[in-house]
Amino acid sequence: MKVEAIEYGDRKVYSVGAFNRGVSSWLQRLPTVWVEGEVTELRRSDRWASVFFTLKDPQDGSCLGVSMARGQFDALRLELVDGDRVHAYGRPELFEARGEFRLRALSLERFGLGDHLAALERLKTKLAAEGLFAAERKRPLPLLPARIGLVTGNDAAAKRDVLTAVTTRFPPANVLVAETYVQGPRAAGAVVEALGALCREGVDVIVVARGGGSFEDLLPFSDERLVRAIADCPVPVVSAVGHEQDTPLCDLAADVRASTPSVAGRLLVPDLVQLLERLDRSRAGLERGTRRSLERERRRLDGMHERLGRAPRLLLERRRAKLEQSAGRLRALSPKGTLERGYAIVRAGEQIVRSGGTVQPGELVDVELAEGGFGARVEETR
Amino acid sequence: MTFEEAQRELEQIVQQLESGRPGVEEALALAERGELLYRVCAARLAAAEGKVEELSRQPETG
Repeated sequence: MKVEAIEYGDRKVYSVGAFNRGVSSWLQRLPTVWVEGEVTELRRSDRWASVFFTLKDPQDGSCLGVSMARGQFDALRLELVDGDRVHAYGRPELFEARGEFRLRALSLERFGLGDHLAALERLKTKLAAEGLFAAERKRPLPLLPARIGLVTGNDAAAKRDVLTAVTTRFPPANVLVAETYVQGPRAAGAVVEALGALCREGVDVIVVARGGGSFEDLLPFSDERLVRAIADCPVPVVSAVGHEQDTPLCDLAADVRASTPSVAGRLLVPDLVQLLERLDRSRAGLERGTRRSLERERRRLDGMHERLGRAPRLLLERRRAKLEQSAGRLRALSPKGTLERGYAIVRAGEQIVRSGGTVQPGELVDVELAEGGFGARVEETR
Repeated sequence: MTFEEAQRELEQIVQQLESGRPGVEEALALAERGELLYRVCAARLAAAEGKVEELSRQPETG
């Protein structure tokens, strides 16, 4: 639309109507978008063509006037009351007669807790399908972190509680605190930035701490950017957000979830007293173990020594026994033994007589017995 | 070597020694190494200063 200006010398001046028309036509080029807010000051009359209400940003209180054709509004049967959360689909518009800027709503949807939960559930399903919450992604926390990063709100009790839990348990702990927004529309981006800043500074574990709050207060901790940043964080992350019953998605992406600040303390640092005791026990074990090895070696040596002393006598006895055995066998095998059992050796001259045919009747033979012997004459041969 | 690594090796050495399996030479060498590891761990604890620092506030965006 062409907007005509009146010219006074070199000054161009617009009438109010022309100005409003100009702005209005410019505004109409803006796209149609969804806007979320709480409904307040709903004004409706059967005599009006439009209903009017104000959308309020629950985080920072910003307001936006909205108008909507009454027929359309009534047809939706939303039964809205002040404070109801809605999504309005519309375009910016200038009410030219009054120079009032507002959103011209084409459609309106109630967006309650259920819708939030449904959206959250969809995101959860999507991220889970990507494997962002998988158990095998979880990293173990360092036993003794050189430096702990803490992301927290600036005056948060959560900050104090985590610091107390950590330093009570482990006084030598080094903590680098990154204060940031933990609520409102900036929180998710700010926490993502804080994570990055801490990693650049060099920490080997990060805890994200935020006290309990309403479902909506904790929503930034289910923000997709934040959840992804936690999953992608180069160092392990402990999520200490909200209370036991809250499960923002950051809990699922973190390597460990701490339900309370003292649980976070236990996860982050070892108990110094216990650690020192354990070290001292180990040291005592070194000494005890070495002594045990030495004693065992000495016992073995003593045993060897004793056996060494016994060895010559044993050897002698063994030899004597062997000799006896040999003598016995020798005796059993000698002719002497045989004669003692009643046998006799018959000789004709120097030859031992083994068969009757080798001697003649009347020949003289010599008979040897166990004890002595005698001469004899052969009577007959067979 | 991290504290965890030193502590884990120290405890393994103690276990080995307490089993009584290693010979004297080995036992003495293990004990020496164990003592070194103990000192590494103790020094690591002593070196930590115990401080809480604040990271400077991020510049506001948006």
